[in-house]
Amino acid sequence: MISSELRDEIADFINAYALAIDDGELERWPEFFANDCLYKIIAKENFESGLPLGLLLCDSQGMLQDRKEAFSKLNVFGPRSWRHMLGAVQASKSDDQIRARTSFVIFETLAGEDTHILCAGEYRDILIRENDKLKFRERLCVYDTTMIPNSIVRPI
Amino acid sequence: MSGAPLNWPDGNDRVPYWVYTDQGNYERELEKIFYGPVWNYAGLECEIPNAGDFKGTQIGEQSVIVVRDDEGNINALVNRCAHRGVKLCEQDKGSFHEIICPYHQWAYDLKGNLLGVPFHRGVKGNGGMPEDFSMKENGLDILRVHVRNGGIFVTMSDEAPPFEAYMGERILGYYDRELDGRALRLLGHSRQRIGANWKLMLENIKDSHHASLLHVFFVTFGLFRVDNESRIEMDDTGLHTALSSIRGKQELNDGTAQMRSFDSDLELSDPNLLDVIPEFEGDQTVVMQTIWPNVILQQQSNTLATRQIVPKGPNAFELHWTFFGYETDDEKMTERRLRQANLMGPAGLVSIDDGQILERTQKGILAHPGKSGVVELGGRDTEDADHMVTEVALRAFYKGYRKVMGL
Ligand SMILES: [Fe+2]
Repeated sequence: MISSELRDEIADFINAYALAIDDGELERWPEFFANDCLYKIIAKENFESGLPLGLLLCDSQGMLQDRKEAFSKLNVFGPRSWRHMLGAVQASKSDDQIRARTSFVIFETLAGEDTHILCAGEYRDILIRENDKLKFRERLCVYDTTMIPNSIVRPI
Repeated sequence: MSGAPLNWPDGNDRVPYWVYTDQGNYERELEKIFYGPVWNYAGLECEIPNAGDFKGTQIGEQSVIVVRDDEGNINALVNRCAHRGVKLCEQDKGSFHEIICPYHQWAYDLKGNLLGVPFHRGVKGNGGMPEDFSMKENGLDILRVHVRNGGIFVTMSDEAPPFEAYMGERILGYYDRELDGRALRLLGHSRQRIGANWKLMLENIKDSHHASLLHVFFVTFGLFRVDNESRIEMDDTGLHTALSSIRGKQELNDGTAQMRSFDSDLELSDPNLLDVIPEFEGDQTVVMQTIWPNVILQQQSNTLATRQIVPKGPNAFELHWTFFGYETDDEKMTERRLRQANLMGPAGLVSIDDGQILERTQKGILAHPGKSGVVELGGRDTEDADHMVTEVALRAFYKGYRKVMGL
């Protein structure tokens, strides 16, 4: 069991992450992760078959920084809006680790086009405290979507 | 766009835009190309290692089951019940030892033979199949299969030449370089849908010089750039291409000075991403092969993959990526491949740009079937080149394409 204060804190943290991305504040994205971290977007078909391939994999703060640079400066893509829709967080705690699961859907709107669903899935997170602040030790984004509409041009 | 006259401009150096948008031409492509005398890529053996393992795939617009039978052979069966046409198998992968249609329970073995039909002999003397109903003639449609060093290819035509002749000696050489007979280790799949004509994907790989201009990431880190030592080689038909290149340095020279996207100061915070180790004979650090009509077989540094192209009408295609290594890889090598996989796929550091630009190309040409694209870089010939500052592979490709299509 976890306290309702902790539950609120986790939900706020997870929500703040999504809002930072939707607001285009990619600068802040690596700050949500611990020094020792893993961020991986993985297809459910791989996840369930025990296949390791990620759609995107960062296993260090440096890799998060490099991705951030690529997404914000190097990659070529048209203007768009993103909207993360999050389900209620389910969290549990053991020792110093918090585990959380949250459903997500991301709506993408390209300039001049209809809004479509980019992907749907679930975050499977491990959170720790660093300097008293919650951080992702591990964030697995397991997506159900069989066919990604074109590309994923930001972190999810 | 039907109704527009389908004229091909004179010469090898123009490609008419209707070839990417015309519905009638697309339907003829399905018949003459995907269902014609070609070898379509259908997967890797390591995806179905055990007896009974299957994968679902698509050849043209047809759904096909690729399955390993009890003798270890690989069979390809059209995914359509011979009775009433039900799609037999809805999963992308799994394992079974017979195939049973849920509708009326016609049952097939893994070779496609019809094993049983319920009420075949009737019930209490009523009904049943006619005396002369042939079990033999009512099995599943079976495709011819060729397996080479772990790669699975299928054909719907009796006229397809032997696989080796189809590939040609040089392209086969590049194929064998990556699929060299070692057992492959499946690392995973990713799939994306791109709103562009399927041929634009092949062109994207054959068009070697775009990488120097569009892909800042490639350019900056020298992974693939026009000033790199490179070769473009084609088979006799011009339809297969192998592009190979040696990684260059992050330096300013007369090539990089002309690339607006070059940034000599860019540095990776974590150089582990490009911790590349040589693993093949020769100096090439990248080999991109387009194998007609539906697959790209690629090595970029230590990331190995196939991209299967599945056409979805003239204006869209799916790209099914399969990443792999070798069974002999140690843990470090597998990690390296997985990290470098960041370059590729639907969120790839470089392939994001391609997905986006192909869709933009389709948007640009959609309403202009009477106009043409220009492919004159490097001249108007269709011969192999020892550099990348050329669109020769596109000219050779359309020369071969016109022959196949009778255009
Ligand atoms: Fe590209």
